[in-house]
Amino acid sequence: MPEAADTAAAPSGAAPDIEVRELTKAFGRREVLRGISFDVERGGFLSIFGPNGAGKTTTLRILATLTAPTSGTVKVAGYDAREEAMPVRAAIGMISHSPLLYPDLTAYENLRFYADMYGLGDRDERIAELLDRVELSHRRYDVVRTFSKGMRQRLAIARAILHRPRVLLLDEPHSGLDPRAVDILDGLLAEIRSEHTFVMVTHSIQKGLELATQVLIIDGGKAVFASAGGVDPSAFTAVYREHVQEGSVA
Amino acid sequence: MGGRQFVAILRKDLIRELRTKEMLISMFLFVMLAMVIFHYAFTVKESVDLTYFTGGMLWVTFIFAALLGLNRSFAQEKDENCLDGLLLCPVDRVTIFFAKMTGNLIFLAIIQAVAIPVFTVFFVKHGYYGRLPSFLLVVLLADLGICALGTLLATISMNTRARDLLLPIVFLPLIVPVLIAATSATTAIFSGGSEFGPLGAKLVFLAMFDIIFMVAAYGTYDFAIGE
Amino acid sequence: MILKRLLTAPALYAVAGALLAAGLLLAFLYAPTDTSSMGFSQKIFYYHAPIAECALLAFGIAFVAAILYLRSNDPKYDVLGMVAIRLGLLFSLLVMATGMIWGRAAWGVWWAWEPRLTTFLIVCLLYTAYFVLRQTVEEESRRATFAALFAIIAFVDVPITFFATRFMPAGLHPVVFGRGGGMPGSDLLAFFVSMIGMTLLLIAMLRQELAVEHLKEDLYHLKNRIGA
Repeated sequence: MPEAADTAAAPSGAAPDIEVRELTKAFGRREVLRGISFDVERGGFLSIFGPNGAGKTTTLRILATLTAPTSGTVKVAGYDAREEAMPVRAAIGMISHSPLLYPDLTAYENLRFYADMYGLGDRDERIAELLDRVELSHRRYDVVRTFSKGMRQRLAIARAILHRPRVLLLDEPHSGLDPRAVDILDGLLAEIRSEHTFVMVTHSIQKGLELATQVLIIDGGKAVFASAGGVDPSAFTAVYREHVQEGSVA
Repeated sequence: MGGRQFVAILRKDLIRELRTKEMLISMFLFVMLAMVIFHYAFTVKESVDLTYFTGGMLWVTFIFAALLGLNRSFAQEKDENCLDGLLLCPVDRVTIFFAKMTGNLIFLAIIQAVAIPVFTVFFVKHGYYGRLPSFLLVVLLADLGICALGTLLATISMNTRARDLLLPIVFLPLIVPVLIAATSATTAIFSGGSEFGPLGAKLVFLAMFDIIFMVAAYGTYDFAIGE
Repeated sequence: MILKRLLTAPALYAVAGALLAAGLLLAFLYAPTDTSSMGFSQKIFYYHAPIAECALLAFGIAFVAAILYLRSNDPKYDVLGMVAIRLGLLFSLLVMATGMIWGRAAWGVWWAWEPRLTTFLIVCLLYTAYFVLRQTVEEESRRATFAALFAIIAFVDVPITFFATRFMPAGLHPVVFGRGGGMPGSDLLAFFVSMIGMTLLLIAMLRQELAVEHLKEDLYHLKNRIGA
């Protein structure tokens, strides 16, 4: 993974890219996470499943430094998410169901903005390369408002991997996409699969298992099932049913 | 690095606004309408000299026009969840504050560049051109205060349920000192009257206000924009 | 142990009440009647000024609580800040009420745009906004953070507002409070007795309000446990 490696020199090469220990989060009186621990090795792909309100998105937002943990330690690319937020932010990219793009800016202006924010040295070459890759070069001077949902999501991927992050966080990236856009998204994900470490939150068991090297099921703020290896899709539905009582929404 | 990010945020906001012009147009319309309304509100008999009221009219108008802009400057970040994208970047939150503040300052200044000549031509009967430099200084210092405090409070209010409804309620009572100082300085300049006390004290006061709230924002912005 | 019992709300109320009564008696029976234009109406000053000091003290407590909250994220400082501002607001309204009564008696109008009175009017609006702000944030930790930020900004703004209210054209309003002249010694005693009494009253009310808030918190947990 030569591209991913030059993002930031990690303090120690052997440590996992993501290390979460006894993570808890309470919004006031409401406890959302009650002690979650997991590791993701370099190049791994973790899929997180669980019912609505289980704490999946909160977990992802804590990894992304958008939300502060109440207790526990979170390390991303060897840096503590609370104490060393800046290098963590430099090491992560995020793809969520909203594209995080400014609709009144063109594709190029959006990418240029983020390239400047991340301090990219080879800004224009990198933008050109990525626009090619997500097949949007012909629309580079059009404002994003005129893009279809699928095009926006493709551009969102370009935005997320612009600064060659070591870790990519995916928050239900498939939601709201039409089948063709889903295909394009899956194609792109498969293409960049080898370049990053992934954490994906999803409702779709099929999508979640396709690429996963490990899975985690969260329910009521706790990890109710974890598997370090790949999981057989045909057996997983039963596993999920067994650990999650439908309707037990925290 | 911080400089490049500052420019990037400012550039993005300027491009966006100059392309859509939604904020500038609404601010401009508001200012012009306010002028007409003030004219009818204060003209109690024929040929009244409104010179003494122009300072107050101007600053009341500018503060409400600034409110329109301040609300917009964060609404667009919140609308498309773009704020998350901004917060994901390895950027000091204070850089975001100063970039947003500068953007708001520029938009307010654009509006004033149109409104001040119009207001003074319509209302000010005395010549004040000799005092133009000190007037511009008053405008700059008052604008800085409005935008420093306003940007900080707009950040807080956009993260609440009420969003743009909350901003005037929290912003207006806090900005009263700037309103008083700027109004009394402006009225003194337009009327050439000495009964309003020395101008220097008001300029120093406005500058102190700017510094205090920029420092306050510097210390608290991390909390204001999100965890 | 005895000290602790003396600091409970009922004990504080008793002491505060005694001191306030003593202050009142001193003001009317012992302190000389003002010889300047103010005359007898000046007596209200012995309550008016202590109330004003207490209002500012309450906002100061909220300011400190806000800083402590931002440093620790401990909800107890949020509650303290909220209770202090509530009482500060109450005292500010009393400042305005006593000030208006005084104004009516001294120079015949219910309201004059006098710097101190104007400042308290703005302060009332300012700290009312604090509660509007609290209303609009549902998530508790975020509400506490924003409330703390606002308490800090507001408290910084109060002295600035007071300075600004003096930027008025000279001669348009009478300079009413010439406190710089100093008071005769006998006035000081009555004044300080009232001030200590008023401060103790504030602390007693603060303790009581805090206790009420804690009871509400307990009630919430009890309700939760029985699933109500």
